[in-house]
Amino acid sequence: MSSRLSRFLVLALVAGIAAAPAAPVSRFYAAVSMTKAQKNSSTPLDSGLYLRQADGQWTNFGPRILGVTSLATSPVNPASLLLASADGVVRTTDGGKTWRKTTGWEVADVRAIVFDHANPAHAYAATAWGPLRSTDGGASWQLAQQGLARLYCQTILTDPASGGHVLLGTEDGVYASHDGAVTWARTAFPAVSVLRLAQSAADPKLLLAGTQGRGAWLSRDGGQSWTAADPGSATANLYAAAISPHTATQLAVGGWGIGVRVSADGGRTWADRTAGLPAKNVFVLAFDPDVKGRLWASTFEEGTYYSDDLGRTWRDGGLYGAYAFDLVFLPPAP
Amino acid sequence: MVLVLMLSVGALLAREGEKGVSLSDADIARRFEERQQSVIASSIAALDPADPTKGGHYDVAACLQRGEKREAALARLTKILAVKADGNMFWMFPMVTLMMAGDQGLDAPSRARIAELWRTYWPSRGDTENHWVLYYSSLYLAAQTYPGAGPEKWFNGKSSAENMAEARSYLEHWMEVTTSFGQGEYDSPNYIEEYATGLALLSGWAQDAAFRQRAHLLLDYIFYDYAVETLDGYYGGAHSRVYPRQIVAPGLTPSLALGWLLFGFGERQPNGTVQILALSGYTPPPILERIARDRAQPYVERELKRTRWRLRNAGPESFVIGDKRTIPVYKYSYVDQDFILGSTQGGLLQPIQQQTWNLLWRTDRPAAQAANTFFGVQPYSSPLEGTMFFGGDWDTITNLIARSKADYDTPDKLPSGSPFEQVYQHGPALIALYDIPPGTRFPLVTMFFSRDLTHTEEDASGWIFAQGGPAYIAYRPFAAGEWKPNDWTGLLAHGAGGFISTDFAKWGTGHRCYVSPALKNGYVVQVAPARAFASYEAFKTAVRALPLTFTTAAQPEATFTSLDGTVIHARYGATPTVNGQAVDFANWPLFESPFGHATRGSQQLEIAHGAERLFLDFIHNARQESAVPAQP
Repeated sequence: MSSRLSRFLVLALVAGIAAAPAAPVSRFYAAVSMTKAQKNSSTPLDSGLYLRQADGQWTNFGPRILGVTSLATSPVNPASLLLASADGVVRTTDGGKTWRKTTGWEVADVRAIVFDHANPAHAYAATAWGPLRSTDGGASWQLAQQGLARLYCQTILTDPASGGHVLLGTEDGVYASHDGAVTWARTAFPAVSVLRLAQSAADPKLLLAGTQGRGAWLSRDGGQSWTAADPGSATANLYAAAISPHTATQLAVGGWGIGVRVSADGGRTWADRTAGLPAKNVFVLAFDPDVKGRLWASTFEEGTYYSDDLGRTWRDGGLYGAYAFDLVFLPPAP
Repeated sequence: MVLVLMLSVGALLAREGEKGVSLSDADIARRFEERQQSVIASSIAALDPADPTKGGHYDVAACLQRGEKREAALARLTKILAVKADGNMFWMFPMVTLMMAGDQGLDAPSRARIAELWRTYWPSRGDTENHWVLYYSSLYLAAQTYPGAGPEKWFNGKSSAENMAEARSYLEHWMEVTTSFGQGEYDSPNYIEEYATGLALLSGWAQDAAFRQRAHLLLDYIFYDYAVETLDGYYGGAHSRVYPRQIVAPGLTPSLALGWLLFGFGERQPNGTVQILALSGYTPPPILERIARDRAQPYVERELKRTRWRLRNAGPESFVIGDKRTIPVYKYSYVDQDFILGSTQGGLLQPIQQQTWNLLWRTDRPAAQAANTFFGVQPYSSPLEGTMFFGGDWDTITNLIARSKADYDTPDKLPSGSPFEQVYQHGPALIALYDIPPGTRFPLVTMFFSRDLTHTEEDASGWIFAQGGPAYIAYRPFAAGEWKPNDWTGLLAHGAGGFISTDFAKWGTGHRCYVSPALKNGYVVQVAPARAFASYEAFKTAVRALPLTFTTAAQPEATFTSLDGTVIHARYGATPTVNGQAVDFANWPLFESPFGHATRGSQQLEIAHGAERLFLDFIHNARQESAVPAQP
């Protein structure tokens, strides 16, 4: 027995004996393109999903496809995953052993993808060419454009309490659907490109939107009405928005040149929490569902970091060189 | 029956072309076959049985197709297949060429390895029109090779039948849009080879006869598009995309390599698409060479194209095809036996590498050295443009474009569209107007003066005269500029890619630019064949006498009476007029010239040379050839 293996076994036994039965740990994925090292090339060095291991290392997961931007899992089958990519939607139903592209040539540049938790057979995707809907768990897709003035969209949410209620961030503001993305209607949101929608797990009616050039917007009624949230980022391009799943008053937004801004009082006041990050260009923020108060931030090509004190200090979380599009926590694998 | 008719048409039209080149069907076909066979012979010769590191995919394919050097070819193939798959859609078509052309000679291990690669390597589809054509033409043929193969045999988890259906659906859609509204990546002297590659593969090896025929028709269509705007193989007129190297040195474009194979222009240049075309068995209809060589009379070629799909920031002028937004591109080329002056209306027609207008003149210089071009550009880059055409983010898109197109975000760039540029051409004269907002990243108007120009003179009248081979050029800037060398020092120092900068010292030096920083700007260009004047002095005298009024006040505006007496009026933001009549953009034809005609949305093209006709009908997937005009 090699010394490395014996040490591993000892550690495993110790861990098994000492540790109390732990709560299931989420699967934590990053959807990235490795652009930092992209020189004299139109394609990044790598693109796809990275899965964070227990030791903090990130490993490839799933097919290597250009423009992988997000991931969603079925609320009733954790082995069923939908991958958003430039090539279309790619699906696995066996936890990632096999994958199948479930869209045709008409679909490209998928920017976000979600399941409808209140109606688990339904899934929706936002693409640069318009939204999509599926009624068979992502096995097939239909265009879902009715009612939209412009088709470009890159962020999408569902209301976990109301099946068929979908919010779509488009080039032309936020649109809402109450019939499972069959039809859309404009909400009272400025006619501005919406870059990220975030929702509170604790209070699904609480929504936060990051926009292009118009800062952050808050809704407390599920998207019917919106108010500008943070004067300090009012003209920023905000690519990142997150609401704590544990404490709905903890909000965060991030963007280009503005770093990370957080609110601990439900959006009434905001503070700059960029100090400690290597760059002010932030594309993704996510609260960790397994560690209360932990906030993840991914910078443009300068790495991903986490903070356990709402951004006052940051620790290196890896993924140096990555251009992350999403950080996704999924329920534990079966 | 068709064959008999073709021969009789050819016999009727057989005549001597320029330089004693016979343009009979038989002689055109014979010369083409000679070139085709020489390409294949060279490919076979490139493989060295003593050195399995030499030779590329197409060389191997040629050996396997012709049954020569099979062992050496298989040895080389083993090494090729051992390399980690990379390059996405650019990995696919060389592999498919091997599979199609080399099918007879592949051995079992190679077949197994190729099948394994299709199962394990996920080639992404890319994000341009040429990427998708390459991807889907390759996928279609690869799937055809494994009939009945299930999802487990494919990288994307789709069965062969599903992959073929998806590929064919896209390709037929693309063909319909192209023959109805024009290509999005139109008339590119670089990217014509990508389209030729995809279509040559399909026309050569698609087992479905109807689909094979459709691909063949579109090859004819695209090569007609080239033939009607070529001068000795050089691709004239405005271009959707052209790389900075080839915009300076048009003889280095793949189109000239194709011009050699298709029509016998110039010298043979190494080119993969030429190899694929030769292996595919495609033979161009002889009428195309007759058109490509017939420059006896000057003519105007008008064409309708479209922009690449605009996914956001599409603008109020955009319209929808299917569910994609675009705007029309109005191409206009004046084709003379000694030059081509061609243009589009300006604006943002492509995300990168657009050439809005250019002048190309006939040259006897070696293609690798010729810089037979003159053009203007408003160097522009912005996230507005990038996000209009790409699915990226506002704050990173420019940076990421410049990772591969290093010139994109530099003031020295030569290919560029600009939202602040409007161009109108009539005959061999054009007016360009600029209204550049303060704060624009590169507030410049640049005129490229190549080292091949002679007799460049700044005249007291305000005109700048020059001679490009057999073409006289008069350029009248509306605002002062200064002369600068075509200096890419900074660009090259920052790592401009090999494809952009290879051999820069040979083709990139010795040129200069006339650069004006005025925001309200414009100019007139008048071109004429030197043969039309007794002397250069006579040309200059004639131009000096031409009525010209212009203003660069609130709205740049000019009225110019050209050498043929036509009064052209252009005002920034307004529809131009010719002799007082507004230009009818609404009825701009898909193709219109003495050599061809197609109406918008028609999916049909009538190609003409004298009384000879070739009718390409994509509605009925048919071709008709006749000695008289086809019935409407």
